[in-house]
Amino acid sequence: DPLTLHSSAKAEGRSDLIASIKLRHCCLLRNQRCVTAYLYDRLLRIRALRWEYGSVLPANVRFHMCAEEVQWFSQYKKSLASFMRSLGGGEGLDITQDMKPPKSLYIEVRCLKDHGEFEIDDGTVILLKKNSQHFLPRWKCEQLIRQGVLEHVMS
Amino acid sequence: MFITDIRKEFYDVVTNQRVALLVAADIDAVCACKILQVLFHCDQVQYTLVPVAGWQDLSTAFLEHKEQFQYFVLLNCGANVDLLEMLQPDDDSVFFICDTHRPVDVVNVYNDSQIKLLIKQDDDLGVPSYDEIFRDDEEDGDSGNESDEGSEPSGKRRRFEEGAVERRIERQRAKREWEGRRREILFDYEQYEYHGTSAAMMLFELAWVLTKDTKDMLWWAVIGLTDQWVHDKITHMKYVTDVATMQRHVSRHNHRNEDEENSLSIDCMRISFEYDLRLTLYQHWSLYESICNSCYTSCHFKLWTLNGQKKLQEFLADMGLPLKQVRQKFHSMDMAIKGNLRDVIEESSNKYGMKDIRVQTFGVHFGFKNRFLASDMVHATAALLESTEKDDSASDNFLKALDSLSRGNLDRLHLGIDLAKKKLMAIQQTVASCICTNLIVSQGPFLYCYLMEGTPDVKLFSKPMALILLCKYLLKAFVHSTRNKRCKLLPLVMAAPKDVEKGSVIVVGIPPESETSDKKNFFGRAFEKAAESTSSRTLHDHFDTSIIELKTEDRSKFLDALITLLS
Repeated sequence: DPLTLHSSAKAEGRSDLIASIKLRHCCLLRNQRCVTAYLYDRLLRIRALRWEYGSVLPANVRFHMCAEEVQWFSQYKKSLASFMRSLGGGEGLDITQDMKPPKSLYIEVRCLKDHGEFEIDDGTVILLKKNSQHFLPRWKCEQLIRQGVLEHVMS
Repeated sequence: MFITDIRKEFYDVVTNQRVALLVAADIDAVCACKILQVLFHCDQVQYTLVPVAGWQDLSTAFLEHKEQFQYFVLLNCGANVDLLEMLQPDDDSVFFICDTHRPVDVVNVYNDSQIKLLIKQDDDLGVPSYDEIFRDDEEDGDSGNESDEGSEPSGKRRRFEEGAVERRIERQRAKREWEGRRREILFDYEQYEYHGTSAAMMLFELAWVLTKDTKDMLWWAVIGLTDQWVHDKITHMKYVTDVATMQRHVSRHNHRNEDEENSLSIDCMRISFEYDLRLTLYQHWSLYESICNSCYTSCHFKLWTLNGQKKLQEFLADMGLPLKQVRQKFHSMDMAIKGNLRDVIEESSNKYGMKDIRVQTFGVHFGFKNRFLASDMVHATAALLESTEKDDSASDNFLKALDSLSRGNLDRLHLGIDLAKKKLMAIQQTVASCICTNLIVSQGPFLYCYLMEGTPDVKLFSKPMALILLCKYLLKAFVHSTRNKRCKLLPLVMAAPKDVEKGSVIVVGIPPESETSDKKNFFGRAFEKAAESTSSRTLHDHFDTSIIELKTEDRSKFLDALITLLS
């Protein structure tokens, strides 16, 4: 505690140490500010992850989060979910869909990497192979577009 | 079977289904694909597009997708082979084939349930009638039974037996005769390979029947037709007839903007019929370079000789075009010169023996600076499709070429034009060096030319379309430069290294050069037979049977077999 250090230095007649105590204290405060800013920035990014990846984070992302951050993420998830449930007159509305205003029901997407099989709503399975193009319902593709597996082709 | 009503039997069937589109790698197919994609977007037909470069790709794509799709649409592939035999599909798979490859395999023609051909029946097909090739073999069973029955000897039986034996012999003789005739008919039918109406045009007609045709689709159909002309797949007569058909559609679309009050903005697309010069890419190059690198002018002037160069200078002087103007980019040429350039060139060309310097084609115009002729687009897209820059795979290139046809992707199109210029210059230089070093040798029934591995730009010619273009230009140049009358009527076989690591070459054969050529190519069957007889290691993967891949070591024995076969 710098105040006790300060007063004890004065008492023992070592007033020449007061400047270094002050300097050290300022450094510690600065470091604390930096660390806090870093942790806060991490939290903001983790929050953005919910919007990008959905409610289940991929394993390689979770690997880089500490336990408290994971807990914070699940609490954020919960509050977002309860907010979404309260919209639309009690029926709930998924606001993480359609981040940009949609122009059409189906879109043309191009597969950028091999992703294997992908199931759509009516049970049919599509093989997502590199460089194949598909014309699919928009809401199914949004997730994969955000992950970079599919690319929206506009012509 | 042939489809008669393309709307009811094809489009209405697939409208509420999911479709797999398997598209071959040529410009006509790419254009047809774009037209079909737009139609599917309109009606929200879910589809998956897979580019296929050869028979192996086609089989792989089919195997991967057969669980998920019942309807397959094949563009520019699949008609000239027994598809059901090759793919072994389940009974409920249905294939819609829109293909220019002829002759159409007889099994595809006569299968009623699984193969639907989006081909016009009057398209010069000459399909043999059903009875000439297929026959219900019930009589065999009877003759078998009779031979079993006649085991107990008795007077009456013996006479009956003799009668039965005679009838059996007669039936067998008739069967052998029929089979002999069948082999002959099939041989004649399948001997020559050629091309029919453009797939893009067929699908444009579908769009027209649905009244969903737009100017973009019309332009793509024109490009598909022009691709067939640039790559010499159809006869001149057919080209002119098809141009007339397209011209009717163009006028129909243009009538909409003739109204003075509602004139279209400059940004809208306008397609016009042009009787333009046969100088490749001249509006995107300088006039001089275009004349030097266009097959027609280069061959007529013989620009690989000094004499030819002199003649060219005379030609330019004759037209009164200063060299400085002619070597500039076309856009920067004097307006006064550009004004009646076509007529001036035509007049002078007639004096120099080039009677058909002008050809019927179409041009598009949108925005202030965007003018393209159909042949410009074909060359640009072909260069993108077969680009050897970077290590892009065939399907990457296919998608790039597909993108370049949309009006929003002009930078890609300009990239394609640059690549096309490089390709044309490479072709001209290779032609010049082949002629000057007498690399074309007559082997008796055909001419032969082999591009060595160290040849500059030889990587460009490992691709089929580029090699075929080189082949055609080379043959034309050879015909113009040789004095040997017999050699002028010979077809040309050309080989170029395809993959140096794997030690393979690509071999193509083209029919002889003549004004009235019917473009029918017999090399497909010839290559097959030659490969069989020498057990050379060949790969007949390309949809055009006259293009094959061969191991370099087997080259000489394959060639010898081919010579013996065709003499």
